[in-house]
Amino acid sequence: MDKILDDATRARAELPPPGDERYDRYCEALADELSSGWADVLAANATDVAQGTRAGLGPELVDRLALGKRHLDALVDLIARTRVALPTVTAPTVGHRAGNGATVRRLPKPLGVVLMIFEARPTVTVEGALLPVAVGNVAILRGGTEIAATNQALAVVIGRALKDAQLPTGTVQVVTDPDRRLVRALLKRHDKIDGLIPRGSPSLIDYCLTSSTIPVIASGGGVNHLYVDRSADLELAARIALDSKLGEPTACNTLELVLAHEDVAEELTRALLRAGAGLAEPWLLRVDPRLAAAVPPGAPVAELAAADNGREFLERAVGIRPVAGLDEAVAHIRRFGSQHTEGVVAADPASVEAFLAGVDAATLVVNGSLRLHDGPTMGLGPELSIATGRLHVRGPVSLSALLTWSWVVDAGGRLRGETEAAT
Amino acid sequence: MTDRPRVNEAVKRLVVRESRVSVDPGTIDDLEPLNGDLLRVNSLGFLGMLVRLEDELDVTLPDDIFAGRAFTTVADLVDVVVDLVREES
Repeated sequence: MDKILDDATRARAELPPPGDERYDRYCEALADELSSGWADVLAANATDVAQGTRAGLGPELVDRLALGKRHLDALVDLIARTRVALPTVTAPTVGHRAGNGATVRRLPKPLGVVLMIFEARPTVTVEGALLPVAVGNVAILRGGTEIAATNQALAVVIGRALKDAQLPTGTVQVVTDPDRRLVRALLKRHDKIDGLIPRGSPSLIDYCLTSSTIPVIASGGGVNHLYVDRSADLELAARIALDSKLGEPTACNTLELVLAHEDVAEELTRALLRAGAGLAEPWLLRVDPRLAAAVPPGAPVAELAAADNGREFLERAVGIRPVAGLDEAVAHIRRFGSQHTEGVVAADPASVEAFLAGVDAATLVVNGSLRLHDGPTMGLGPELSIATGRLHVRGPVSLSALLTWSWVVDAGGRLRGETEAAT
Repeated sequence: MTDRPRVNEAVKRLVVRESRVSVDPGTIDDLEPLNGDLLRVNSLGFLGMLVRLEDELDVTLPDDIFAGRAFTTVADLVDVVVDLVREES
């Protein structure tokens, strides 16, 4: 572990500042090396997939491990979008003039050494080698043992890209040692590691949050709700609800539960079933028993249980529960929500304002799909994940979220004593 | 506390959290399916679950603890972990 951290510290000292042309060159080289080395990556990935299958992993888990051409295309596209975003993100900021006449501005600085811990998705290795590094960070990447062979192949590709761009070799370190004691030891090194980004299961996120003193950019799961006010256009609300879920049912920004004002809950149930009737893929509406009368015979529904409050349905399913009004919806969201993405559908501006005042989440969506909570869609550029923490990084973890800054005071010879004497 | 109740509690806390569901772990039946109407455990054996269990039970679990075995219920999972905890102690 000492070698990993020593190399990281050395690389951090040697790296050029954000905005240096070598980062753009690195991005370009990473795309090229990934494309030319993809056959080797796939061969290594096949080893992981075979091992996972032998170990008895289910088909869904094996699917998480497996790479294909579409993954390469997505990664190359992410790299291209990162290159487009870099100049703006790292541009010098315009300063302001302080009361004493000095000019004060912010200079972008990298967070430093970032440790990413993740599980079975090998694309995260590339994302971790791309986004933090593009703005000047050192990345230590510890993926799950399920993707060990893939990560070894990706480490070769990443190493070539660093070399092509003339960046220090220790800038990205892919940790392939399976020993979990190493993970525990790294989590204790707040003296050498500046930021921790876990991505994976709830247990992993919890573990990092509770076991480490390194600041965490946590991208927890999304237990997200949509409050439909009695003033809402119900046909629109139904389309919003379905779009909020069915496009990407396992994503963290999708809808789990519609909280419908009791005056319109039955009609909304019927509207949801109508809106979803013609869909090519099957889906399920989980209905609160109090709304059973609104369900026509043969409709694709299941009962929404009490235990489903706070649940993420990682499937093509949406729940609907009636509430007495906005206050009950807000109380439900405060109790069961994960402060990720919350939405309101209402024509009444007062209801919208009350919802925005009462609900606290990384993103609040008004009269639109919850899946609009997405860095590129919000015009914030490529994102590493979506954070639910309350400090510094909240919402899309974009390139700018992977930077901090130094305040620069262009004082022009001014002294503090002179300033205080004058005031 | 003997091994089994302690492991039982730890495993139930873990599977509830992994299933992203808001229920009291103490209410989970031993025979509750790991992938059914209530629980949805789909990261069995991954890093997060292993380090959590190791910390809670103060044991070291082998990487392949869950490999090649069929787990249907919470009790199946508890059985394997109990055996390991006994071997370690």
